Amino acid sequence: MASNLPLQLPAGVSDLLPPEAAALRQLEQRLLNCFRSWGYQEVMTPTFEFATTFQAGSQAGEEGALYKFIDRQGRVLALRPEMTAPIARLVATSLRRRELPLRLGYSARVFRYEEPQAGRRREFHQAGVELIGAGGVAGDVEIIALAVESLVQAGLEDFRLGLGQVAVTKGVLQDLALPPEAVAGIKSALASKDLVALERIYDEYHLEGERRRRLELLATIHGGREALEEARACFGRTAAAASLAELSRVWEALGAAGLEKWLFIDLGILRDFDYYTGIVFEGYVPGLGAPVCGGGRYDGLLAQFGYPCPATGFALGLERVLLARGETASACPGGYLVAGRDLAALLKRARELRSKGTAVVLDGESRSRQEAAARAAARGLNLEWIGE
Amino acid sequence: MVTNLLTLALPKGKLGQDALQLLQAAGLPVEGVATEARQLTFTFPAPGIRYLICRPTDVPTYVEYGAADLGIVGKDTLAEAGADVFELVDLGFGYCRFVVAAPRERWEEAGRSLENLLAGSRRVATKFPRVAASFFQERGLPVEIIKLHGNIELAPRAGLADLIVDIVSTGRTLKENDLVEVAPIFPSTARLIANRVSYRINYRRLTSVVEALKRAAVQGGEKIATTN
Repeated sequence: MASNLPLQLPAGVSDLLPPEAAALRQLEQRLLNCFRSWGYQEVMTPTFEFATTFQAGSQAGEEGALYKFIDRQGRVLALRPEMTAPIARLVATSLRRRELPLRLGYSARVFRYEEPQAGRRREFHQAGVELIGAGGVAGDVEIIALAVESLVQAGLEDFRLGLGQVAVTKGVLQDLALPPEAVAGIKSALASKDLVALERIYDEYHLEGERRRRLELLATIHGGREALEEARACFGRTAAAASLAELSRVWEALGAAGLEKWLFIDLGILRDFDYYTGIVFEGYVPGLGAPVCGGGRYDGLLAQFGYPCPATGFALGLERVLLARGETASACPGGYLVAGRDLAALLKRARELRSKGTAVVLDGESRSRQEAAARAAARGLNLEWIGE
Repeated sequence: MVTNLLTLALPKGKLGQDALQLLQAAGLPVEGVATEARQLTFTFPAPGIRYLICRPTDVPTYVEYGAADLGIVGKDTLAEAGADVFELVDLGFGYCRFVVAAPRERWEEAGRSLENLLAGSRRVATKFPRVAASFFQERGLPVEIIKLHGNIELAPRAGLADLIVDIVSTGRTLKENDLVEVAPIFPSTARLIANRVSYRINYRRLTSVVEALKRAAVQGGEKIATTN
């Protein structure tokens, strides 16, 4: 059969069939409930806004990653690539006079023009929270504890959350007083964990002995409390000391609360280096090639919207969580098939059953009880035949 | 896929053979492993290591998706793949260079200047469109990139392209086709790469293998230096 309609989808987007849609919706509800139970209220922002809003945000808002279009006044709009920048805009405008800290949550579709690969799609679902107006250790502890609980609630059992602190890296780099192009090279190599490029830069700028060792440790310190002690021994007298002490306090508090088994320290976790200002973290699940969640402190963003205040938060990628869980929701929803020839009677009986909370499918087409029984069996429903 | 095996993706071909030598030098099991055989996976349950034998261009993909924890691949392939993986160690072998090359005559006519050369002609044939595009973009030189799958040196002869971007190791192919190198892009050697999640959550296990390979690579480099 010839058709002029395109039957294919563009790259990086997909349909969700009933079991997948049910699984995603269920996950979304669980996460929103979890956020709510921590006092985070849900907000919704427009699917598209002025592109400049997103460009103030993280790497996701970079030129190449935005889906942009032009309105009739010639202004540039874009589909949201993430939710943090829109929420920062919202807080700096509509919620400006509210008492801080603000606790906001969301679940939304986001859009990025990326090469579809390794769990990256051009349209995907993110659920997350932002804690705005809470600086320092208390805010970091709350957000990380909530991230752990979210992953548990999401049904992941075997996950780990890695904590880093970009301020340590920034402090160490500042102490080394290198030329700006060397700093830019080191930042980009550290962020992409390109240890080969780092070696090149060390050689090029004649970084030897203690200076070189510090940078090498930045890229490789990993573990639990002992990693923190190693870091303090090495960076204790640098500009990084204060931010490292902060990380230790966060670690101690989370450990004392019994969360240590989910956590590890890795100073090589930097995420978007220029955007984040303090403690950052990523959630990993064995066998899944990309993180399932990520977040951290971004004390500089709100100032870009004219409302300087500290903030931290995180987001989970819902498709990645489902992929990591590897199961789908049950395809059979259960319930009744109410069948018969008297349509009015069917509607009446169905209403009674639904009022008790069960799902009811109507069947006014079956001519006999046997026919209806076959239909009910095929769909995994209980039959209720109205008539003789 | 949750497994206790550490999976290492190895490339077929010459690079794979060099990689096997390095694995052996690093004390990893290689008994019976061949990169040119029909068998594509080799498992050593006792040390908990498995090798996957892949096409070189597929190694970054296996690692990026987490189907392999580690991989050995040429920097040339890695740069072209643009995969989001961690690049851990320069293993030193498999040396080659990315270069821009042009027919000798054209190069002389252009007064040995890339700008002049590109003034009238701007078609570039290559097997590495990503590497080529980023080289010309960084220099603000507009070109049209033509992707080919092999024997790039044929393109200027046949009038398909004015320039080529290719990898060379000795430069003999260029010479035989009367092409000259007009600009270096970057050198390439084999790299050890890691999946970004696996590297974080299996840190200890991965690190022991990574360190062993690193030591073997450094020793291998010194051996070459002394025999030279």
